[in-house]
Parts: sequence; C-alpha cells; structure tokens
Amino acid sequence: MFEQLVSKLPVGIGIVDEAFNVVYLNDFFLDRLPHELRKDYKEQPVTELFKGQGKFLKRRLKSVFVLQHPSFSYWEQRPHIFPFKSSRPITGEETQMYQNMEIIPIKDNASGEKLACIFLQDVTAQASYFRAQQKLSQALKKEHAEQRKLIRKLDTAQSQLIQAEKMASTGQLAAGIAHEINNPIGFVTANLDTLSQYASHLLAICDGVESQIIHFTEEMQEQIQSLFESNHYALLKDDITELIDESSEGLSRVRDIVENLKNFSLETSDGYQTIEVCSVAKQLITLISAQYAKPEYKFECAREKLEVIGEPGTLKQALMNVMVNAAQAIEEKGFIKLSIIENENDIAFKILDSGCGIAEQNLKRIFEPFFTTKPEGQGQGLGLSVAYTAIEKHQGKVSISSKEGKGTVVQITIPKIPPQNTPADNSEPTTEALSN
Amino acid sequence: MSIVLPLDEDQRDALQELLNISMGQAANSLAQLIETKIDISIPKISTVTPNELYGLLFETKDAYYTRQSFLGDIHGEVMSVLSQSGLSEVAKLMDYDEPLSKEDIQEIILELCNILAGACLAGLSDQLELTTNLNMPTLFQPEKSNFSDLQWQHTLVMEVQFIIAISSFSMRVVFCLDDESLIRMKDTLDELLG
Repeated sequence: MFEQLVSKLPVGIGIVDEAFNVVYLNDFFLDRLPHELRKDYKEQPVTELFKGQGKFLKRRLKSVFVLQHPSFSYWEQRPHIFPFKSSRPITGEETQMYQNMEIIPIKDNASGEKLACIFLQDVTAQASYFRAQQKLSQALKKEHAEQRKLIRKLDTAQSQLIQAEKMASTGQLAAGIAHEINNPIGFVTANLDTLSQYASHLLAICDGVESQIIHFTEEMQEQIQSLFESNHYALLKDDITELIDESSEGLSRVRDIVENLKNFSLETSDGYQTIEVCSVAKQLITLISAQYAKPEYKFECAREKLEVIGEPGTLKQALMNVMVNAAQAIEEKGFIKLSIIENENDIAFKILDSGCGIAEQNLKRIFEPFFTTKPEGQGQGLGLSVAYTAIEKHQGKVSISSKEGKGTVVQITIPKIPPQNTPADNSEPTTEALSN
Repeated sequence: MSIVLPLDEDQRDALQELLNISMGQAANSLAQLIETKIDISIPKISTVTPNELYGLLFETKDAYYTRQSFLGDIHGEVMSVLSQSGLSEVAKLMDYDEPLSKEDIQEIILELCNILAGACLAGLSDQLELTTNLNMPTLFQPEKSNFSDLQWQHTLVMEVQFIIAISSFSMRVVFCLDDESLIRMKDTLDELLG
C-alpha cells in the first residue's frame, strides 16, 4: 500500500545510492522519462538519466552523502534541474517545469546502505505567478518614475509660467514708466539747455557792468558794488555753471537708465537672433548697479562685437537672475566680476562674486523651482530655475561652485550657434564645493 | 509573555562545551566537502533583546544574510551572516564556474548556510539527544525588517564564526531559540549535568 501511495504522490521521489545510481523512481519521475528509458532506468547513474544539470546534481548528492544533512535548491536560483516539460503542454505559458528540490539522506533498513532521496516539487504555477507579479511591479515602478518625471516637468513649467507672467507685467510696467519718464526728461533737458544759455547771457551782462564800473558815478558804483555783494555775485558766478553742468550730466544718466530699461524690457521679437553680448552685459551692469549700489562691478570681455545667436529675452533674463543673486549675496563691501570668455564654439559668462556663498547642502537644490533661502515673501526661488531652463533651451551648460563666506562662481556656457536638431543636453547642472 | 531566565553558570558551561564540540563537527563537515581548512571562533552565548540582535547581525559590514527555521524538540531560527569578500574563492572550492551570476551567488550563500547551520544544529541536537529538523534556508534582508516590532523581549543567542583560512571569507551563524525551547533545553542540560 505504501509503495502505491509513494508512487502516486504528486511530488517527484527518487532514491539513489552512493554511486548515484537510481534505486527507485516514483510515477512523477517515470511519467516524464523518455519512453525508451522507462524500462531499464534502475542501476543507471541519475546524472546519466537526467543530463543537463548533472554536475550540479552530483555536487549536491555528494554533499548529502558526506554531511548526512539535507540539501535544498530553489527555482529562483536554478529553475530547471530535471529536463521536464511543464505539466500543461497545451495551455500553459511556461514550457519548462520550474522545480524546487530537496535531497535528504536516508538509510536502507535492511542493508544499512546509505541512500539519498530526491524530492522534486513542480512549482511552475507559483513561479509563473511570481514572475508575472514581478513584471507587473517593474512596469509599475517604471510608470511611477515616468510620472514623477512628468510632475517635475509640470512643476518647472508652472514656475516658469509664473515667472514669465511676472516678468511680462514688470516689463510692461517698466516700459510704460520709461516712456512716461522720457517725456519730462525731454523738456527738462531742453529747458536746462536754454537755462544754461540764459545764465551765460546774464553772467555776460553782469561781467559787462563790472568791467565798465569806473564809468559810472561814484554813487552808482557804490550801489552796484553793494548789489553784487549782497547777492554774492562772485560765488554765484563760480557755482552756476557747475550746477547746470552737473544737472545735465545727471539728466543724461537718467536717460541712459531709462533707455537700458526699455532695451531690457521691450523684447518685441521672440525667436533666435544675433546678440551682441558685450553691450548686453554692459546694459545689465548699468541696470543692476542702479538698484544694488554696494558691490563694486568689474567687467571683462574677450573682444568687442562678440556675438552669439540666441533668444535675447531669455538669455538676458538668465544673466540678469544670476547677476541679481550675486548682487544680493553682497551685504556690505564686495565685488562682482562678469567676464565673457570666447572659446572656439562657445561663449562662457563667468560671474564671480565675493558674497556670502551657498551652503553645501543647498548647492544641490539651487536649480529646483521654488527653492529659496530668502525669508518668506522676499523671493520665490525661481530665479536660478528659470535661468537653468533658459540655458538648457540654448543647449548650454551652467555650473556653480561656491564656498560659504568666500563667494560664488557661476559659469554659463552657451554655443555661439545653436546646434540644429540635436536633443537638448539633459545632464543635471553640476555643483561642487569651491576648494580653497 | 514570560520572562526567560538566563542560564545559570553550570548550564552555560555545559552548553558552551556542547557547542564547542558541535561547531567543531560542523567545521569538519564543511572542510571535508570543500577540501580546505576552516577555523572556528569560540562560540558565544548571550541573551539579547530584538535591537541587540539587530546590532549583532550588522556587526559585519557588506554582508549577505539568510535565515532558516528549525522544528522538532526545540524550535528556533538560525541566521547566518556571510561576508561578501572572499565568496568567489569559496565558490571555486565548491566547484562553481566563473563568472558567478546573481543566481549562482544566491545559491552558494544558501548552500553554505544550509551546510553550516545544518551541521551545527545536527551536532547540538545529537549532543542534547533532541530531534530537530531544519527547514530550507531563505535569503534575508534584516535592514528591511523592523526588529523593534518583534513579539519577544529576550532570546538566547548562540553565535559562532567560521573563517576559511585561504580566503578572506568569514561567516557567522547565530542560533536563536524561542522561550519554550529554552526551557526545554535548560531541562535537558540539567538532566545531562545530573
């Protein structure tokens, strides 16, 4: 009865002796053995009967005989020890049987001979389920990663929209104000010119009177002298030209600033065009120095008439944002140096400041939208993210190195002529701590 | 949950001696199989909390972990910590072909643990005249499991280290017993001590 039971068990049971010769196989094994071998499988080495994983099987059997201790094998590491087909040759997805194996040492009660019993379990169903699960989880993971990417893109897009809108409205405002200021400046300048002429006429009259004073009567002379003195004529004569000159110089400075503001805010034409970087940089410094007067500004340019092809609006915006950050990093004394370096195929803008620097833990995040270290309400954390996107759009690169308390160097490199039809460089911006 | 009394000095000495013998046998088994010399450390016996056990497992840096449960007269788990270094030399000794695939490495780890834990347990149960059956080993990632949530407060831990002399490979086998088995083992030890 037991023999029947064992032969019908739904697990493979095989018994081998110390020479690895087969002593017994139950139906599970026999059903799967090629027909020609079914008759005389006994006394054949199990490794001959089931080729393929013979080396492995031998090793495990040896270990069981030597150690007298069970040995295990799993489908995950070694799926197919015995070359058996899946139990569902017609409808199954797997073609080969996945197997778990256990070999246990046993002893023949009668002879005392050492034997090994091989248990073989068909785990094809579990394995195929597990593998399907794994595939599913991988697909899910991939989808998740893609979604995260998308969310990041959305975040960036949203932040840029906010920034663009903000810039557009400030730009319009600036342009409007500039226009409004231009009118009064026009007539004030004209009036001042006339005033300057009138003043010189008046001075000429007074000088004429002074030089002809001896021809007047003594009484008249005294009266004129006292008139001169009571009105501090000597001082007035010295000062008036200087005052008028200073005023017209101031006016021309106001005009320059307004002009720059107009140039910067009124980007009428979108799209790529030739940009003269030196004059852009100079305008930028004029504008920023008007707002941030504390730092000392230095400027270096490889040569005059250095040109790149790009979008003036976004490129200026990017430079502006970096420069403003540099200016804001300087609280008391310090300098900002903007150097433009010309390479064979590209142009590098190097913005160096002696400001407070960026803490190492923040360096990695500075290009993230909405990341800011400024107190709430004083910054939206969009400047550098906008700059980064603009530079990416120009297929350029931006790198930042900084040391707290020493300063920061930002280098923006953009190609002179944008490479056509090449995918944008997706590499992350590089950040590093500034070495001493 | 009952608080398990630690072993008294006599029990501890007896267990230590039994462990020495069984671990020696285990090392011999492995040495025989892979035909190389194996050194073993003196087995350590201690009582630990879950967090202490966690620390104990993580003493070895860059390691592989497995666990294997055993049933029979005493119940418990064997956890093995294998160094990643030197594994390829051991693989060669075990007749594996280079280069090792991920599956090969897993198989080697599981087999090594099975052999050593099996030999140790067999030796120990032999000495104590207890029957035990070791279940199949599985890979274990202690860093992913939460040891603070475990349902016990103290466990008896027997730890031994195997070092394969010709390579940098080393492996620690940590036996943990549940409360009931500990009581059973203490009784057995008392019987042996007479």
